[in-house]
Amino acid sequence: MIYYLFSCILVAVTSIVVGCFVFLKNTRAPVNRTWFVLTLSIGMWSFGYAMTLASSNMQEAMFWNRIVYTGAIFIPSTFLHFVLTLLNLTSHKKKLILTVYIGSIVFLFFIPTNLLIKDPVSILNTFRYFTRAGILYPFYVIFYITLSGYSLYKLFEMKNRFSGFQRNQIIYVIVASIIGFVGGSTNFALVMGVRIHPIGHPLVALYPIIISYAIVRHRLMDIRIAVTRTGIFVVVYSLVLGLPFAVAFWLKDWLIETFRASWWILPLGLMAALATVGPFIYIYLQRKAEDRLLADQRRYQDTLKQASIGMTRIRDLQRLLDLIAHIMTKTVRITYVGIYLFDAGSGEYVLQVSRDKGRLPVPKLASSNPLVNWLILKPQPLIYDEIKLRAQDSSDLAHKQLEENMRLLTAAVIIPSFLENRLLGFIVLGEKISGHIYTQEDLNVFQVLAGQAALAIENAQFYEEAKKMQEQIAQAEKMATIGTMADGLSHQINNRLYALSLIAGDTIDTIKLTDTTKCTPEVKEMIGQINYALERIQANVMQGGEVVRGLLKYSRQGDSGLDALDLHTILNNTLEMVQYKVKLSEIDIVRDFPPNIAKIKGNLTQLEEAFFNFIDNAYDAIVERRTLLKEAGYRGRITVSAYPKDEHLEIVVEDNGLGVKEADMKKIFTPFFTTKTSSHKGTGLGLYVIKRIITEMHKGQISFESDYKVGTRFIIQLPIAK
Amino acid sequence: MPKLLIVDDELDVREFAANFFRKRKVEVTTAVGGEEALSILDNFKPELVLLDIKMQGINGIETLKRIREKDKDLKVIMVTGKKPDEDGSLNICQQLGVLDYIHKPLELAELEKIVMGALK
Repeated sequence: MIYYLFSCILVAVTSIVVGCFVFLKNTRAPVNRTWFVLTLSIGMWSFGYAMTLASSNMQEAMFWNRIVYTGAIFIPSTFLHFVLTLLNLTSHKKKLILTVYIGSIVFLFFIPTNLLIKDPVSILNTFRYFTRAGILYPFYVIFYITLSGYSLYKLFEMKNRFSGFQRNQIIYVIVASIIGFVGGSTNFALVMGVRIHPIGHPLVALYPIIISYAIVRHRLMDIRIAVTRTGIFVVVYSLVLGLPFAVAFWLKDWLIETFRASWWILPLGLMAALATVGPFIYIYLQRKAEDRLLADQRRYQDTLKQASIGMTRIRDLQRLLDLIAHIMTKTVRITYVGIYLFDAGSGEYVLQVSRDKGRLPVPKLASSNPLVNWLILKPQPLIYDEIKLRAQDSSDLAHKQLEENMRLLTAAVIIPSFLENRLLGFIVLGEKISGHIYTQEDLNVFQVLAGQAALAIENAQFYEEAKKMQEQIAQAEKMATIGTMADGLSHQINNRLYALSLIAGDTIDTIKLTDTTKCTPEVKEMIGQINYALERIQANVMQGGEVVRGLLKYSRQGDSGLDALDLHTILNNTLEMVQYKVKLSEIDIVRDFPPNIAKIKGNLTQLEEAFFNFIDNAYDAIVERRTLLKEAGYRGRITVSAYPKDEHLEIVVEDNGLGVKEADMKKIFTPFFTTKTSSHKGTGLGLYVIKRIITEMHKGQISFESDYKVGTRFIIQLPIAK
Repeated sequence: MPKLLIVDDELDVREFAANFFRKRKVEVTTAVGGEEALSILDNFKPELVLLDIKMQGINGIETLKRIREKDKDLKVIMVTGKKPDEDGSLNICQQLGVLDYIHKPLELAELEKIVMGALK
């Protein structure tokens, strides 16, 4: 009697407390509301039950018994309503919901009569007052079984249409409902006159607790683990507590006979011993069971841990990222993995690796993206299901934006990768192929992996940078050597070239001045050939002179004072210089910037040199296109546009010349590389000199875009003078 | 007939340049270095000196300075195979008053234009 009274109060209190808790947690969510109504019904039922048992007279018992059934008849209908809400089916099943509520109300009318329940008199000695079934009672049982059965069926049916968190939540509700309804059903027998104790009643208390957990918590434990842990706990502690009682109960006589007054020492000692060992057994069994249940998960978690340790040894960034993506997809079996890394140049998070099954990944995220901001503020893994729920539940715009961005990335989970406080990048994971949810342990392992990955990535980036730096130093040294050599050699070479030029020039002059009319045709032809050869020598000499001059420019340390310069002045001077080489009448030179454009902080001579080379190159490209493509109506055009961008002036020099072939793109800034085929073949130093002038002397930037047979654009950034 | 003094330590330069200008009715004398040039100067009295900067012995700049000590107005054209503005020689030459400052190599036609222009 006391046991039942206690279990009824337990059920009533837990139902109402957790029901209220869930309701207050989010008063607007339909699931929380319908669940609240259901717990009220259960609470009313169980509370009335307790009061019936405690009643001192028939009238009182009858009153409480009517309360019991007022609650009870609404349990099946509110349960169905709750389940349909959980499964998002309310809009399709409006009529059904209305019908079952009408059903419950019909039963309500019979409560004051004796047709549904009669005077509560118990057929068991345990209870003084217990509900007795009226004529209509079987209808209630049918109503109860049908609706609960249908609800459970729906849960089972719909379970696989959901994934991740929601699927897990539904499984929780199924397990809890089965426990609850099995427990609750043990009441029917006695009501209907069969002498079976309603021993399952306390199980009903588990039901609201489990479901409330499933509703409120966003990160649910794997249901298998939850069930196993509970099972093991119940078994172990039943033994710990039960065995001493059993010993005391069955062997009491024998114990008293043997130990007399201190007979209780043995069971108590046993209890103490078992209570000490109990937790160890519990932990041992739990570990064994979970090792078994989670063998797969443990295996990949181990693999990931090991992989994360080995990662820091890899120095090639791309290989490293490929490896991370590979181990994640293969070991955890995920539908999609994408790794985004911060790119300091563009200030964006750029997709570096993508393993996907037929989806188009988002190539990059700006660092102002809400998702990025969120990760920086809250350096924790993001789970789409959680964010989606929060976005639904709250009116906070940040959640909505976050949800949207995660949806765009098709991310089930996003793991940020931090180094100190810098968000180095993040890993986007799709759902598991198995449809299982990501557990807290998964996330823990991923976080360890992301941490190690951050280190490894930083390492690899540093290594790459160092390698590049070394190459640059080597290159600079090489250039410096060439420069020094050029200094010494230039005089010698120029002297030789000068002499050659004079020898050839003077001989040509002599031939010109000599009267050859009396010579035979053979001699005349020979003189003609000699003349031609000398002219070629002269041309080659002049070209050699250009090469030496280029080298000297390159090695020039010269003055590097920076002044405030007007782009117009630079261009004017350049055009003046260039007109000896470039037929300016053949092309259009367009200036696409205002007269009062911001001044550049730069060195006039150097920038003139740079622009000279730009225009010279563009002109050559235009001539090449003209001779090669022979397009009707083609006219060369060089456009110089400029606009301020932060603290820099961005200058674009664009031509509609031949453009650069894809294969040559990488080499254009390399010294001595030239593709020029025209008569005055270039020295291959022009763009190298430009690059040095822009990046080293002016701390600016230069990049280019080119389409073969369309044209070339150089984009230069030079600091603005303050 | 206009008089031209070519100072250069290169035999080929002296020979062919002299030959070229002689054909243009210019009286040409050559010197292999600064000292020889300075010694010729008084007797020959050229209207123009074509002076190489880098030479053995007294170099072009030093020669120019000594020329200026004797004659402030003599037309001098400096010829250099070095970097244009290295060690500020251009600057010094300008201060010492030179007619032109030309870089090797250059086409003979170019040299002709400059020299004949100066001798006119």
